Amino acid sequence: MSGPIPASPRRSGYLGVVITTGGVPVLSGQEGGQPSIRRDVTDNLARTFANLAAPGASWTGEERLAIATEARRARSGGPAADGVPAEAVEAARTLADRPAAARRTWVERLVAGGLGYPRYVELVGIVSRVVAADTFVAALGRAVEPLPPAVPGEPTGDIADGARPGKGWVPMVGGTSITQALSLIPAENAELERFHGPMYLTFEEMSQPTIARGLTRPQMEVLAARTSAFNECFY
Amino acid sequence: MLSWSSEISQVPVDVRAITDPKIDPLIPGGVALLRFADAVLAQSDDIRGTAELVAAELGWSGLVDAAAVIANFQMMNRVADGTGMPTGRGSRVRNAALIEMLGLDRFDHTDES
Repeated sequence: MSGPIPASPRRSGYLGVVITTGGVPVLSGQEGGQPSIRRDVTDNLARTFANLAAPGASWTGEERLAIATEARRARSGGPAADGVPAEAVEAARTLADRPAAARRTWVERLVAGGLGYPRYVELVGIVSRVVAADTFVAALGRAVEPLPPAVPGEPTGDIADGARPGKGWVPMVGGTSITQALSLIPAENAELERFHGPMYLTFEEMSQPTIARGLTRPQMEVLAARTSAFNECFY
Repeated sequence: MLSWSSEISQVPVDVRAITDPKIDPLIPGGVALLRFADAVLAQSDDIRGTAELVAAELGWSGLVDAAAVIANFQMMNRVADGTGMPTGRGSRVRNAALIEMLGLDRFDHTDES
């Protein structure tokens, strides 16, 4: 595609991207004759939003949505969510809007104040993914979509037995590593990896310096570095 | 990752552009990509205009991938900062010149207690 993107006469989004289907957000780039968004990306977004509404290891679906709502509210305003403790609200809002403000003592205070490590780590996963998904949708010209309804059910309690304290601030399985950052909650770590592949590169593909999709690897890395600089993320 | 991929791909890049918006990163579409990233990250009213520039220079698939990469690092930055992910000594040594040039040490809060 070359030249300006034509505005859709039927939608406010300039790329004609449709999000919601039956309460579960689904992206489609086909509307208005626009080329398609890669299927792995649309599937990833749909799965991500659905996952946010389902019971996790230590939070119910309703509580996970409340955390996601607070994360959104910190960045874009909107009504407050009910049903999660003040520590969760503080953590969600800080990590969503000012992640570089996080400190070891801050995490320790929240954990000791009642969150505990499992619920904190799961919250990190929820907040990071809802911010990422919303960023993608906004970048393609659409307003944030409503979150899907909560899936009823109790938390699964699936917390890794083998997680141990290390050089990071939370227990991890197999040593301190970004690919294991959320491994205290295996489902959250798996979601991180599932999101990472279609949006950037799989962990395996990261070792390929000349890999290209719509962008070359140096173009991807310029964007990654600028995003990290904006967020003041040293890692 | 940027320096490494640039070197192996033999695509010159001016890494100073990462922290200085006035500098052209030199890679194809680089200025448009960084303006788009800035607009997206700041949630500014200029997202559409900068997206059009990226699409004009790199095509629709380039624009979609740009949005996806920015989104992914919104996630990874929060995971790293939320879990206190340390940067390894080896990485610090390898990238010492870059860290100093860009003043990246000011972003490192993982060793604070």
